Amino acid sequence: MKKLELLQHTNKVNELLARYGVKFGIYKNNTFKEQLFPFDSIPRIIEHEEYVYLERGLKQRVKALNLFLKDIYGKKQIIKDGVIPEEFIFVSSGYMAECEGVMPIKGIYSHISGIDLVKGKNGEWYILEDNLRVPSGASYPMIARELCRRSSPETFHNTRLEDNRNYVELLRHTMDYVNAGGHTVILTPGRYNAAYFEHSYLAEKTGAHLVNGAELMVEDDKLFYITANGKKERVGAVYRRISDEYLDPMNFNPESLIGIPHIYDVFRKGNVALLNAPGNGVADDKGIYYFVLKMIKYYLDEEPILQNAPTYLPFYENDMKYVLEHFDSLVLKDVAEAGGYGVVFGASMTKEQKRDFIKLLKKEPRRFIAQEVIDFQDLDIIEQGEIVQRKADLRAFVLMAEEPLVWKSGLTRFSRNPDSFIVNSSQGGGFKDTWVLSQ
Amino acid sequence: MERLHFAYCMEIGYSIPVSRCYFTIKCIPKNDERQKLLGMNISLFPQTGYSFGEDSYKNRQIYGCVEKPHDKFVFQITGDVEILQTDFAETAVAERIGMYRFPHGKCQPGPGLLEYYKTLDVFRHKSDYETCIALMHKLHEDFQYVSSATEVYTAAEEAWEIGKGVCQDYAHIYITLLRLMGIPARYVCGLIIGEGASHAWVEALCKEKWIGFDPTNDCIVLDSYIKLGDGRDASECAINRGIMWGGGAQSQKISVSVERKSGA
Repeated sequence: MKKLELLQHTNKVNELLARYGVKFGIYKNNTFKEQLFPFDSIPRIIEHEEYVYLERGLKQRVKALNLFLKDIYGKKQIIKDGVIPEEFIFVSSGYMAECEGVMPIKGIYSHISGIDLVKGKNGEWYILEDNLRVPSGASYPMIARELCRRSSPETFHNTRLEDNRNYVELLRHTMDYVNAGGHTVILTPGRYNAAYFEHSYLAEKTGAHLVNGAELMVEDDKLFYITANGKKERVGAVYRRISDEYLDPMNFNPESLIGIPHIYDVFRKGNVALLNAPGNGVADDKGIYYFVLKMIKYYLDEEPILQNAPTYLPFYENDMKYVLEHFDSLVLKDVAEAGGYGVVFGASMTKEQKRDFIKLLKKEPRRFIAQEVIDFQDLDIIEQGEIVQRKADLRAFVLMAEEPLVWKSGLTRFSRNPDSFIVNSSQGGGFKDTWVLSQ
Repeated sequence: MERLHFAYCMEIGYSIPVSRCYFTIKCIPKNDERQKLLGMNISLFPQTGYSFGEDSYKNRQIYGCVEKPHDKFVFQITGDVEILQTDFAETAVAERIGMYRFPHGKCQPGPGLLEYYKTLDVFRHKSDYETCIALMHKLHEDFQYVSSATEVYTAAEEAWEIGKGVCQDYAHIYITLLRLMGIPARYVCGLIIGEGASHAWVEALCKEKWIGFDPTNDCIVLDSYIKLGDGRDASECAINRGIMWGGGAQSQKISVSVERKSGA
């Protein structure tokens, strides 16, 4: 009954979300469009025991990924020991030689990790993708919960539900833990960025300054924030969404206008923390995904708790053979693409497309991975007053300070197209709140 | 043992004053098994503070910001380098080899270089060192030294298509071919006796040692070379990198002198 009460507020909450500016921007055909992120008020519910299991698995995975990054930009033991072929590192677009031998403060590379999972019809959870380059999305379930609470307070009385407002403290602690002395700032590329709402929301909630590149400058190997009255104040930690390439025109892409000259030199000397550290792309590359389970065994000497979707690397001869034999039942992904782009289903290709694709696959086997199509559980959503079923995933947020901590909520995204498996918001999907039950 | 005295001066003139600029200069000789920097003197105009650092290739760099308007930027370094030995530059560190094995940046083969590479199988010897030598001779024959045929941004494949270029192009093409042959290779920026500008050559991995080859002069690197920096291609050890506000048209004057120091 309580649930039904909340459902009556879907429109109300969506109206409020629009009023608060909960939008994300996308570029399509070179024009910028702001889009509302449709909210569905039926929450995804995760039982307590199930959450405990997920939590263990996610912590384990993020620990291993951090150790991997430290190893790759250092001794590269995992390559020497033959666990990962070196092609998968040095040819990856995510590998940045500039990061060789540079140790982030306290050895943490991925402070904020967004791990995407789906639940199969068999009840098993599978990891779809790791996002270690400041994944966005936490602000959506935060504000949605807040607005739901406001429009339907009764729903939240006597519900054994984990409060998700603590993301603010978790994030603040994560940033403070590595702060090298001074302010913490959230660096935004500006309001035309897809995650602008999130930046301003998190800045306000955590009490960090929301700044753009022009307000930061390097002097004497330290980073400073220039206040409105022209004073320079030291900055010790930067939460940033700007991609590595654009972060510092003196060390990375020289054409960058939004970056801060020499910020990476300050980082190199340990005088500022960058969240997340540059260079993380080498660990969330779709080609490296295949090796994450091996990493867990290698670095932690533990059996992986959470499984990957069954994945094949055409790079290996046996896998190539399997892929060609089972082409129609697989989904193929270009390792260099993100955001739901570069994903094709074997079954939906025409004969010619298939022929061309296989030709390309044989020519550049390292460029692709193939996965079994997971028949994942549908979730109920309300579409024009009717309850219908749609594909959905879950982005769990893991924050790393002394130990990894998993936020007891998450972003559930669903596909609005009944035939689509792709839930990315850049492809027009919607979102739900994620309820983790206590006890 | 040889002692070399060097002077490097770069002067950039602007038609309109620059209001602010950031600079990173990688022009300090490396200390390695091959050479040792004995002393140096750096000057900058406009006078400004700067920091010392090391990039990820352990190239030494100075960097900073000039905040007052200027129509000229001058960097000058002089110093002495002792060449300790000439057989090799450095014993390779295992984890710093993989990155030099694959095509990257300016050193990516296109159709032209791949076609050329197919004809090079006869130059493959049992030892990587001999392969490097044979390939160097061959490239020296097939590519012509002509200044101003290429630009700073010209990549290996483009230079090969043009058929002529300068030391940077020789080095990029040579690196691309060596990597295709399976020999890790890196770009070196430095100074040599008898030239009016900086020079570029290549270090290739032979039996766990980085050995210097100079495809432009078709010789191995001896005691007349001072190494400044290395990287996967020229851009990673470029001597000067900067961004500026204003400036208009630029003119650049570079002068280099390296001489043997008597009495060493």
